[in-house]
Amino acid sequence: MRNQRNRLLAAPLLALVVLVALAGPASASGDSVGACMAEHLEAHGELDSHLLHDEAVQDELEKCFEAPSPILPELNEIIWGGGAFLILFVLMVKKGFPAVQGAMDARAERIRSDLDEADRAKLDAQSVKSDYEARLADAKAEASRLIDEARGDAEKVRADLVARAEADAAGIRERAAAESDAAKAQAIADLRAEVASIALGAAERVVQSSLDAEVQGNLIDAYIDEVAGADG
Amino acid sequence: MADAAVAGYAEALFSVASVEGDLSAVEDELFDFAQAFRSNDELRTTLADDNVPAARRLQVVDDLLDGRASATTSSLVAMVVGAGRAAELPAIVDAFIERSAASRNKAVATVRSAIALTADQRERLAAAIRTSTGKDVEIRVVEDPSVLGGVVTEIGDDIIDGSVRRRLNQLRESFR
Repeated sequence: MRNQRNRLLAAPLLALVVLVALAGPASASGDSVGACMAEHLEAHGELDSHLLHDEAVQDELEKCFEAPSPILPELNEIIWGGGAFLILFVLMVKKGFPAVQGAMDARAERIRSDLDEADRAKLDAQSVKSDYEARLADAKAEASRLIDEARGDAEKVRADLVARAEADAAGIRERAAAESDAAKAQAIADLRAEVASIALGAAERVVQSSLDAEVQGNLIDAYIDEVAGADG
Repeated sequence: MADAAVAGYAEALFSVASVEGDLSAVEDELFDFAQAFRSNDELRTTLADDNVPAARRLQVVDDLLDGRASATTSSLVAMVVGAGRAAELPAIVDAFIERSAASRNKAVATVRSAIALTADQRERLAAAIRTSTGKDVEIRVVEDPSVLGGVVTEIGDDIIDGSVRRRLNQLRESFR
């Protein structure tokens, strides 16, 4: 910062020194052509026609026709201009440059701050993005897991239903077979009971018809003998 | 409670009949009345119905036994029916008969047969029971057509079944 300021001050000072150094020739030829010629003629005394034909005088007068420097101004202009320049330069160095420098520093600082802010925002955005990406990945993983789980559950339910249906079908078949067997057995038993009932009814009627008083008496006697024969 | 009442009434009947001196006749008459009571639904319903006035029930007893039983028997039946114990009358009579037999050191053998047993058969059956069981018994015959033929003897909880009905039932069981 300081080097930059020194270089800034050195440039106009160098220009001012060069102007002052070159001011001499300009001031030597700074008068008008007529004054220059009058001055040379007065230096040679009284003016006459011979004097004007003298080659040495003509050479001197020729010098008065030499044009002033197209670059170098008059000395007083240099003085005034240099003073004004110095005043302006000092004002610029003391007031303008710090203001411009402050504005530039503030702007640079603001730009730096904006850049830092932008970097932070970028970092934040990247963090949010990575967070969202992580969440999205988690959500995808969770969704995949749920789908797999649901698929597994559905398969399990299907297997259970199939097993239950098969078990029910087997049970129905078994019950049907058992009922069929039971009905068959019951029918046989009913038939047997019916046949037995008919046979026993017939036997009972035969017995009743054959049980006259004599037979009854014989049965009672046989019973008494049986009881008497039984031992305790 | 019911058993105590039955025993109490049986003891009362025994005491009265003993005092009156015609115990054997009263036993026979009460036994016959109990059999009629068992086999006749209408009689059982009428005498055991509390809604029928006691006087009406006693009148029925009087009509049934008048001239067919002794005054002692009629009075004892009237006492049981009048006391509202008609439903327990068969049990009371059975207990009374057992009590009477016990007073003679005998047991009661209830014999069910399709026809009545002769006196000879009764004596031989009593002797046969004594031989087989060692108990002196008095034979009480109940005519029961359902027996068909033969005899069923009940002595207390022991049953000696020699009936045709039992053999038919055995035959029926063998068919199953």
